[in-house]
Amino acid sequence: MDDVLDEVVPSEDLQKFEKVYHEQLHQGRVTPKAQFEYAWCLVRSKYAADIRKGILLLKDLFNSHAEGKRDYLFYLAIGNARIKEYNKALHYVKAFLEIEPANQQVLSLERQINKRMEKEGMIGIAQEIAFGLSNERFIWRSLSSVEKAKKGVVCLV
Amino acid sequence: MDCVTTLKILVIGESGVGKSSIILAFTTGDYNASFPATIGVDYKCKVMEVNGLKVKLGIWDTAGQERYRTLTNSFYRDAHGAILVYDVSEPKSLAKLNEWVEELQVYSTKKNIVCLVVGNKIDKDRVVTRQAGQAFAQKHRMLFIESSAKTQEGINLAFEELVQKIIETPGLWESTGSSSNIRITNEERRQQEQSSCYDYTCSI
Ligand SMILES: Nc1nc2c(ncn2[C@@H]2O[C@H](COP(=O)(O)OP(=O)(O)O)[C@@H](O)[C@H]2O)c(=O)[nH]1
Ligand SMILES: [Mg+2]
Repeated sequence: MDDVLDEVVPSEDLQKFEKVYHEQLHQGRVTPKAQFEYAWCLVRSKYAADIRKGILLLKDLFNSHAEGKRDYLFYLAIGNARIKEYNKALHYVKAFLEIEPANQQVLSLERQINKRMEKEGMIGIAQEIAFGLSNERFIWRSLSSVEKAKKGVVCLV
Repeated sequence: MDCVTTLKILVIGESGVGKSSIILAFTTGDYNASFPATIGVDYKCKVMEVNGLKVKLGIWDTAGQERYRTLTNSFYRDAHGAILVYDVSEPKSLAKLNEWVEELQVYSTKKNIVCLVVGNKIDKDRVVTRQAGQAFAQKHRMLFIESSAKTQEGINLAFEELVQKIIETPGLWESTGSSSNIRITNEERRQQEQSSCYDYTCSI
């Protein structure tokens, strides 16, 4: 584990807070604390579906419970980054930094998100190149030998 | 140049004693006079050398706010070391460390976890004597050091002492024995990459 985006919630934590949340939901009143605890576990899950659910719960808290706004913003950024919604994640980071411009924790999260975007962007480009090459190879194979001779071996690059 | 092991280090204590500042000072050498309250659990990584061995530290910081109190049980799991911080200008923060010691005893899973008590903010007018902090540490059989995140005094020493003691505690940590395996896997991957390249030129 190198940074906070790698952290995965222990499954017993997720189950524990899921239970509390659903009990309250059943009784018809969910406290912000229970909702946050559950959401906090969800956004650190390894499953994208959990993370999306956590994001919804956090958005709901953000709009209804003023007291914990900076916490909600922070974990909205984390959740979105973890499902590779980097632009949304950076949007929350920016909103946070407008209120606390020098927050180390959030600045470091911003760096991690940028690093991942860069890395995955590179992988994306590499995949495109690889795809391009295999396409090329396919085309090359289907050409007749005369055409090959005309084209030369230029497409090696 | 691989790290021999990764150690999990917790930094605990009351809000405002300087936990995050100590971690920042140690990992980057920076200091912030108006450090905002930590959100949830924060994590920082740093590689350091002890006894000629490279060790990777995963340093965990907590918010200590009510909102996160029930969520920290798993935070303690498998920790190799803990730094218990108080503020030498705030006597209450030392008294409060008792609660953190209890929590540590309840939740930590490694029974020989190494603990270090840190009296921080010695650049300020002190109210808690060095002896009082030392007595507290001794009572709980913990290491003791005083520091200032502001002037950097004692910061590196704190981590060095803690990690040194962890490394010297038999059975507490495991070496990353698979490091040579990782090298082999990398080597294999490189070979595979090469061979697919080779394949490609071949097909032409
Ligand atoms: N004078 C002085 N202030 C410090 C020191 N360490 C931290 N502080 C200040 O104490 C406040 C709380 O520090 P912080 O690291 O956020 O404490 P935490 O809640 O334990 O993480 C911040 O305003 C810091 O700038 C220190 O060594 N000396
Ligand atoms: Mg803090």
